[in-house]
Amino acid sequence: MKSIHLAPENVSDLIRHLQTLGKVFAPHPKGDTSFSFETVSDPDSVVLDYNRTLQSIKKYFLPPRERLMSYSMETNQYEKEEISAEPRIFLGVHSYDMQAVLKLDFNFGQGNPELNYLKRRENCSFIGVSFTPDDYHFSQSVGIPVEDLKGFDLFFRKHESGYTVFVVTKKGEELLQDFSSLSDTGFESDISYEFSTQLSINYNRLPELFNHVWDSPVWEEVSRNCVGCGTCNLVCPTCYCFNVEDNVELSLKTGTRDRHWDGCMLNSFAAVAGGENFRESYAERQRHRIYRKFKYISDVTGEPWCVGCGRCIASCTAGISIVEIVNKLKDEYEQTRLIKSTNKQERASVESSM
Amino acid sequence: MAKPKVAFFDFTSCEGCQLNKLNLENHLLDVLEHIDIVEFREAMDDKADEYDIAFIEGSISTPQCVERIHDIRRRAKTLIALGSCASIGGINSMKNLQPIESVREAVYGKDKYLFPTLPAIPVSAIVKVDYEIYGCPMSIPEFLQVFKSLIMGKAPIKSDSPVCVECKLKENECLFERGMVCLGPITRSGCDAICPSFGQFCTGCRGLVPNADKNAMTDILMKHGLSTDEASKRLLMFNSYVSDEMVN
Repeated sequence: MKSIHLAPENVSDLIRHLQTLGKVFAPHPKGDTSFSFETVSDPDSVVLDYNRTLQSIKKYFLPPRERLMSYSMETNQYEKEEISAEPRIFLGVHSYDMQAVLKLDFNFGQGNPELNYLKRRENCSFIGVSFTPDDYHFSQSVGIPVEDLKGFDLFFRKHESGYTVFVVTKKGEELLQDFSSLSDTGFESDISYEFSTQLSINYNRLPELFNHVWDSPVWEEVSRNCVGCGTCNLVCPTCYCFNVEDNVELSLKTGTRDRHWDGCMLNSFAAVAGGENFRESYAERQRHRIYRKFKYISDVTGEPWCVGCGRCIASCTAGISIVEIVNKLKDEYEQTRLIKSTNKQERASVESSM
Repeated sequence: MAKPKVAFFDFTSCEGCQLNKLNLENHLLDVLEHIDIVEFREAMDDKADEYDIAFIEGSISTPQCVERIHDIRRRAKTLIALGSCASIGGINSMKNLQPIESVREAVYGKDKYLFPTLPAIPVSAIVKVDYEIYGCPMSIPEFLQVFKSLIMGKAPIKSDSPVCVECKLKENECLFERGMVCLGPITRSGCDAICPSFGQFCTGCRGLVPNADKNAMTDILMKHGLSTDEASKRLLMFNSYVSDEMVN
């Protein structure tokens, strides 16, 4: 793969160059200590060295709130919203967020394709950047290394003297055409990334684990501090559930059909007519959330559907951690299996001595 | 079709919710297109015998309130509690945390026996309430949503998710990240997270979500630096009234 050197002082120039090719989106500081993806207006305000953004780039393909159509009750006509597929360049994306988009492509491309999502996904280029894992990242444990290039057109590896830019696709090469402030890179040694937070089980063994932990006492235990605020769902880059509402104008003649993100930790998510709720307790909801990440979809795709971004852990005010849940489930499962097998052995030895 | 007859009543409150209705401004004339207002003390003098829709502001806090709310309920086809005081008891119900005698004395001094008083409770503790519009002051978008639904004859959508949802949809930086503590995780949404969006932590004015776990929330508040006493005061500010079904 071709790789070139980009000096730190040329990053803003590169962004300006990219802006001539399409609308550029990149991480910016937000609030006191956070970051968010925004449309770039001033290339100098872009931050490529960040831990994670509040929301992933999912928001550009499945907006938090979205108008699906407008209708008139006088004429009985409706009109769908136009979605334009203008060229868009996403700069400074971490590998786990890129993988999350590829996973959503699967979810929304299957069966009855989600046309709004797919339309928004057209004409997009992705430029990745490496990151230093913090206490919440665990993407490597779910099979996504920092330098996972899948999905990217270009990838920036950060090191002391700037960036090594890997040209991953033809499209990536085109993005750099006519941009002169690059120099051929010398030998770059690989960088190793340390993850302090990890699943204590290989992700290949997760499907097996989740065949056995449905009735585990761990669900109750880890949900004791949960208040069901839904934050873990709403910051997750692979959660895609939404709710649709009809909103009527005050004239009572016209209205809109709108959708917004929803989450399985929330009260009305599993509520049905007649006032029943088939996942009443927070423990049942946590179990469902985790099964959605490691079992239900994974059984079909063979991959964990959690990308290890750590957002749900970082933003849980109660301090609930998906990594801790999985590790506890594993410990608890291994213990019960051990007890079962010891019992079996004891039984066998008792029987043989009889 | 005749326009529905609508009336507004105030009980123990600051009348801020009624004022907020007059603040509808851009929508006020459109709202008036659909209804006949037959009673609204803050805006007019007329009185009527019956109502299609009665909006109630304020909590119930005296024997006279009890009598009056029964009378209104008898004459109203649909009754709606408006704002925190009417729907959840609100700030007024902090009174309930003290012995009623000392409250009377603090307010009325030696004349305390001239003014009989009760614990401050929401309208639904006395009569059937058909719908509730939350907030201190009441949320205008929610008022319009309920209003349109009623005129169209359908059930309004009632939010039972917490304020956190609205912050996340707006990609607000969490106020806990800024070293504040916020009641967003268990407070009923529908305000579009207006306070957190402007850097003010949520005080819980819209009441708690239906199955709010106050113990778990207290733990969160304490984990982020409040003492037991401070955490309990935060939770009680708007939510001192606890109905039986809300007790965990």
